[in-house]
Amino acid sequence: MKKENIIKILGSILKEKQISGIMAVLGLMIVIASLSSPYFLTAYNLKAVIRSLAFVSIVAVGQGCLLLLGEIDLSVGSIAGLCGVIGGILMVNVGINPYLSLILCLLLGAILGMLNGLITVHLKLSSLIVTIGTAGIYKGINLVMSEGRAITDIPKEIYFLGQGYLFNIPLPFIIMLVVLVLIVFLTKYTPFGRYMYAVGNSKEASWILGIKVNFIRITTFMITGLLAALAGMIMVARLGSSQPAIGELWVLNSIAAAVIGGVALTGGIGNPAGALVGATIIGVIENIIVLYGVSVYWQTAVSGVIIVGAVALDSISRMGALRKKNI
Amino acid sequence: MRILEAHNITKSFPGVVALKDVSVAFETKKIHGIIGENGAGKSTLVKILTGIYQPDKGEILIEGKEAIDHRNNKLFEKVTFVPQELDIFQNMTVAENLFIPFRKSGFEDTFVNMRKLYRAAIPWLEKFNINVDPNNLVKNISISNQQLLQVARAFVNKYFKIIILDEPTTSLTMSGTTCLFNAIRKLKTEDKAIIFISHKLDEVFDICDEITVLRNGEKVGYSRIKDIDRRWVITKMSARDINEESTFRPKKRKKEDIILEVHGLSGLGFSNISFNLHKGEILGFSGLVGAGRSEIMQTIFGLLPVKSGNVKFEGKPWKFGNTNFSIRMGLFYLPEERKRQGILPLLSVQHNIGIALIDKISNGLVISSLKERNLVEKVISSYDIKTPSIKRQIIYLSGGNQQKVIIGRAMFCMPKILIFDEPTKGIDVGTKNDLYRMMKKIVDEEGISIILVSSELEELLRCSNRIITVYNGEKVGEFETENTKESEILNSILGENIKNSTESIL
Repeated sequence: MKKENIIKILGSILKEKQISGIMAVLGLMIVIASLSSPYFLTAYNLKAVIRSLAFVSIVAVGQGCLLLLGEIDLSVGSIAGLCGVIGGILMVNVGINPYLSLILCLLLGAILGMLNGLITVHLKLSSLIVTIGTAGIYKGINLVMSEGRAITDIPKEIYFLGQGYLFNIPLPFIIMLVVLVLIVFLTKYTPFGRYMYAVGNSKEASWILGIKVNFIRITTFMITGLLAALAGMIMVARLGSSQPAIGELWVLNSIAAAVIGGVALTGGIGNPAGALVGATIIGVIENIIVLYGVSVYWQTAVSGVIIVGAVALDSISRMGALRKKNI
Repeated sequence: MRILEAHNITKSFPGVVALKDVSVAFETKKIHGIIGENGAGKSTLVKILTGIYQPDKGEILIEGKEAIDHRNNKLFEKVTFVPQELDIFQNMTVAENLFIPFRKSGFEDTFVNMRKLYRAAIPWLEKFNINVDPNNLVKNISISNQQLLQVARAFVNKYFKIIILDEPTTSLTMSGTTCLFNAIRKLKTEDKAIIFISHKLDEVFDICDEITVLRNGEKVGYSRIKDIDRRWVITKMSARDINEESTFRPKKRKKEDIILEVHGLSGLGFSNISFNLHKGEILGFSGLVGAGRSEIMQTIFGLLPVKSGNVKFEGKPWKFGNTNFSIRMGLFYLPEERKRQGILPLLSVQHNIGIALIDKISNGLVISSLKERNLVEKVISSYDIKTPSIKRQIIYLSGGNQQKVIIGRAMFCMPKILIFDEPTKGIDVGTKNDLYRMMKKIVDEEGISIILVSSELEELLRCSNRIITVYNGEKVGEFETENTKESEILNSILGENIKNSTESIL
C-alpha cells in the first residue's frame, strides 16, 4: 500500500460524521489534562498511555466490525486469555518456535471466533447469548489447562512485540495502527466491507441483493476472534508470561470504545475505526485518574462518570446539530 | 365547524422548498382528501399539521387557537396520524391495542382490568367489522384486520378531534376497504375531522367530501368532490394530461421463446403452480392479498424453501434457495416491502446503488470510488432519481424515488427477468405512469421479461401481455390481456369460477 493511500484512509476516519462530536470531547479532555497536570504531556507518560490503550483498541476494532453487523462478541476476553495460555504452553512446554506458536494462536483465535459465528448463524441464535456461553467455555478451558497459574519463561525473542519501540513509538501501538488501517481499508474500500454495512442495515434486503449473508457474518466473527487473539499474544509478549487473567477487562471496554466511537449497537452505521477514539478516551481517563492520584477505591466510579459524561456531551451536540438542520 | 386551519404555511429544507404558502382548512363531520404526486409536499404538510415540524412561515389554528405557540402546544394532542405501515403492538392483545394508552381512552383505574377492556372492545370491533376475539394477540390476526385495528384505534380515543389517515387501504382486501369506509362514514357524524391521504382515485371519490391537490409544494386545487371528476384531479396533480386509458403493454413479445418454465411448483402457501414466461413480455400475476402470489415469486427467487416441482431457466435446471445464484443468472426480485427488504435505510443513495453493482465498480478486491461515483450518477440520471446529493441517506427519499433506486440498480446489472412485487404500492398516479413507461421501455428495448405481481387490476390490465390469476394458493386462470374484460379476471381472483363449479356439482 502506498503512503498516500494510508494517509487517505486515516484521513477518512476523521471525516466520519459519527465521530466528529466525540473527537471534540477527546480534544477537550486532552487540553484539560495537559493544563492541569505537568506530567500528562511528558514523553514517558504519553508512551505509557498509547501502549496501554493499544490492546483494548485492537480488540475494540474487531468488536466494532461485529457491532456493525448488529452482532456482538462477549467472548473476546476469553479468546485472548485462552490463546495467550495456549501460546505459552506451545512455546514453553512443547518448545515450538515462538513465531510459529504466535501464528498458530492467531489461527486458534480465528477458529474460536468462527465457532461463535457458526453457532449463532446456523442455529439462528442471538450472538449475545451464544458468546456469553462460549466465553465461559473458553475461559474454562483456559483455567483447566493453566490450572490458574501463569506460564513464565516465555522466549525472550518475542518480547519486543510488547515492549519494543519503533521510531520511539511503542510497538503495540504501531501494530494497532496497522490493524486499524487494514480494517478501515476492508470496511470502506472492499466489496466485503460494503457487504458488512449491507448486512448490518438489513439482512433481508441483503439476501435479496444476492449477498452471501451467512458467509459475511461468520467471517466477521473470525476477524474479531483473530484480533482478540492478537491482542492477547502481544500482551503475553509485554508481560513475558502467559497470565490466565489476560483479557478480563477487554470485553466491556471494547464494546464501550466501539460505541463511543460511533458504531451503533443495532448495526449498520459507523466505522470500527472509531473504536480507536473511544479507546483513547477510556485510556486518557484512566491516565488522568492515576495522575491526579485518585484513591484506588474511587477510580472505577470516576472513570464510569467520565464515560457517561463523554457520550452525553456527544449526544447533546448531535441533537443540537440535528435541530439546526431541522430534520 | 373549522377545527384545523393552516394559513400560508411555508417550509423549506436545505436545497428544497417543501411547501410554499399553503393554506388548508379542515372541518368536522367532513372527510377531506389530500392528494398529490411524490414529493408534492403531502408528508411535510402532515408533519406540520401534527406538530412534528415547525413551519418557517404561517400559522396553524386548532379550534381557532394558534397551536405553534409554545403555550398551546398541547393542542397538537388533538391531532392523530395513522401511518401507512403497521404500527401496532404485535405481542399485545387486540383489546389492549385498541385502548392503549388506557387513561386517555377512559380507563382510569390504577390497574388494567382485562375484562373491562374486553367488553369495551366488542362494539368497536363490530363497527369496523373486525371479526376476532379481543383477547387474541395482534400478531395472530390477519394483516387486513391489523390495519383495520390501527385505524379503529385512532377513533377510540376521545381526545382526537382530527384524524389523519395515510393510505389506510394498502394492505386491505376489497371487502376490508368497504368495511373500513362504512365505519368511517358512520364515525364522521361525530365531531371529528378526517383527513384522507391516498393515491387511489377511486377511493378518494368514494369517500371524500372535499379534496385539496398539492403539486411541487403548492396548493393547486381545492374543490368539493361532487363538482369535479377524475380527469380534473389528475390534470391538477400532474400538470400534464395523463390519458388514463393508455396502455403500456410491450410490443415485441416472442411467444416461441420461453425464458422461464415453471412446472408443478409447490411451497409455503401455494401448490402445483405451472406457467411459462416468454421473452419480451410482461406477465401479470393477479390475486387477492394472501393468495400466495408473493410466495410463489420468493420461492423461485430463493428466499423461501421449495416443497416440490421444478423450474427451467433458458432450458437449464434451476437451483432453489440461493439468491446469489438467481442474481448471477439474471433473475432479480424487487420486493413489496421496500423499507424492510429493498433499501438499506441507514446508507447513502450512493452506497445503496453501489452495493448491487460491486462487480462493475471493483476489480474483485478493491472498490474504485471514482468508478462508483460515475456509475451511480449514471443510474441517478437514467432513472430520474430525485435526491439533493448522492450522499443523502436513502431513508429521506420519497417512496417513488426509493423504488427508482431499486429498479435502476437492478437494471444496470443486465437482468434477464425482473420480478416486480407491488411496485406501485404507496406511489402516486404521476410516478406510477413513469414506472409503467419505464417497465415497457425496459422490456421493449432490452428484450428482458417482467413478472408483475399486483393487487391493482387496472395496473395489470394496462401493463401486462398476459395475466395469471391465483386463488388460495392455486392457479385458477390464464388470460391474454388484449381481449379480456376486467370482470372476467375479477371473477377469477375472487374464486367465483371455482365456487360455481362446486355449486354445479352439488
